[in-house]
Amino acid sequence: MNKILVVDDDLDILSLVQTILSMNNFDVEAISRWEDINTKMAEFKPNLVLLDVMLGGADGRDICKNLHLDKKTENIPVVLFSANPEMGKYIKECMAQDFVAKPFEISSLLKTIKAHVN
Amino acid sequence: MVKLNDISIRNKLILMQVFTSVIVFGIVFGVFIITDVNSYKQRKVDSMISLAKVLGTNSISSIQFQDPEAARVMLEELRTVSPEIVHAEITNKEGQVFASYSKPGTNTFAIPAVLHGKHYAFTDQQLFVSNPIVSNKEVIGTVYLEVQLTELQQIIQYKYELAFILLLVALVFSFLIAVLVQGYLSTRLLKLVNAVIKIRKTGEITKAVEDKGRDEIATLIQAFNKMMEEIEESQKKKDEFIGIASHELKTPLTSIKGYVEMLDMMEQEQPKKQFVQKTLGNINKLERLVKDLLDVSKIQSGQLQLEMKEFDMDELLNETMNASQMVSETHKIIRKGALLNEMVYGDRQRIEQVLLNLLSNAIKYSPGENTVIVETEKTEKELIIKIRDYGIGVAPEEQTNIFERFYRSNTVAVHISGFGLGLYICRDIINRHYGRIWVESNGKGSVFNFSLPLKHSPSIQQT
Repeated sequence: MNKILVVDDDLDILSLVQTILSMNNFDVEAISRWEDINTKMAEFKPNLVLLDVMLGGADGRDICKNLHLDKKTENIPVVLFSANPEMGKYIKECMAQDFVAKPFEISSLLKTIKAHVN
Repeated sequence: MVKLNDISIRNKLILMQVFTSVIVFGIVFGVFIITDVNSYKQRKVDSMISLAKVLGTNSISSIQFQDPEAARVMLEELRTVSPEIVHAEITNKEGQVFASYSKPGTNTFAIPAVLHGKHYAFTDQQLFVSNPIVSNKEVIGTVYLEVQLTELQQIIQYKYELAFILLLVALVFSFLIAVLVQGYLSTRLLKLVNAVIKIRKTGEITKAVEDKGRDEIATLIQAFNKMMEEIEESQKKKDEFIGIASHELKTPLTSIKGYVEMLDMMEQEQPKKQFVQKTLGNINKLERLVKDLLDVSKIQSGQLQLEMKEFDMDELLNETMNASQMVSETHKIIRKGALLNEMVYGDRQRIEQVLLNLLSNAIKYSPGENTVIVETEKTEKELIIKIRDYGIGVAPEEQTNIFERFYRSNTVAVHISGFGLGLYICRDIINRHYGRIWVESNGKGSVFNFSLPLKHSPSIQQT
């Protein structure tokens, strides 16, 4: 089963995505504190990370860059997640794989995740 | 009749200065001429009275010795001595003519009424002078002289001519100087005026107009600059606010939409299913409205950016028609005509936005009807996409207005929801693609058209 790590500081969205993905046969871990990412990555070893951009106190784009610069996590695909459609333009710069805009259609979200998961 | 307020400031300033010069010079010359003439006249009177006195004194003996001939001979001298004197007469104390002289070729002498009781009088062309002849403190007669004033007239005429010429010279000089000097005032004002006109035309805030000074014009310009700064500041704040608001609105919307979508998937029992679907439909509407607001704000501040790529137009039409069909129970969306088989260079997502908007409008504005037709046309230079509905149509006077921001038709009786932003955004998107968007409507429905230049067309290659 594929493992997805979801990072978002909005708890409702976090549980929504977790529910959706679980119902679609994904093994999901969800964290709201971005500080916990590195430990979670090592512990959980996900096949894909769904990463919110506007995290209180941190920018998802920077976190994404760092993940790809770190040997341990450089091969794990990251999908950026944001209410601001402009963030889609930063995919290449952050070395992310794709972008999902909020609000999203469930089918759209699933399609994107399935396309990029390892 | 030219109105004073219609003349440009530059010309008003010039006119003002020239007008002032002409009036002032006119008055000054006038005063000079008048005083000159008056002093000439006075001198003339004085000299003629002196002459009359002399003549009187010299004729005393002739009168006393009753010798008019001697007096007459004396008067005859005047012909050569004072050619300006036209008549001279000596009367005795009874008022009878004692001796007289007339310059040849002149009218007969008549003592004018104006002279009565006075020593001199001016008529149109003559000066009359009288002086009593006094001997031993007794008046024994009177000398009368009539002087022709041709010299005076010549002088006056000459002076008037000179004054006129000088006035013309003054006019020319004052005009030239005015032209140079008016620039000082009008240039600064015109800078301000031009900046205002530019802003009205382009809608952009122009950079502050430069001015160092402390007069009223400087005050005006500085206030204007301040206002522009404030407008720019408030526009920035507005954009920031809309950006933040849009983001904030989308966050709970995400949860709402996600959970309701899941409900929709899970709930099959009526009427719950219908309730859920109605809710979902409105959530989607709300989502579109929020996106539209953000787009409009971006368009306004010039931030709307396009990502241009090649894409298949038929494929896009197909997708959008399907998507719109899925949410419509009442209408059937049909494609007519040949396939385009063309790749288009543009922002696929934005063109999709346009299509979805037009299709949604077609359905919205034809309640009670059930068909929407999508047709395409291809010319050498461009593709034209037409979306036809059989609904309420668009009145001729509204056919350009509907593409304006917040325009909601007044003539529509049916309640149509939305902010009125969709077409404004569509127009901006199509314009950015160097296309055109327009509506044709003759009462029974409307056809919304937009064109996109074909990739190999010259206007695209320039970008």
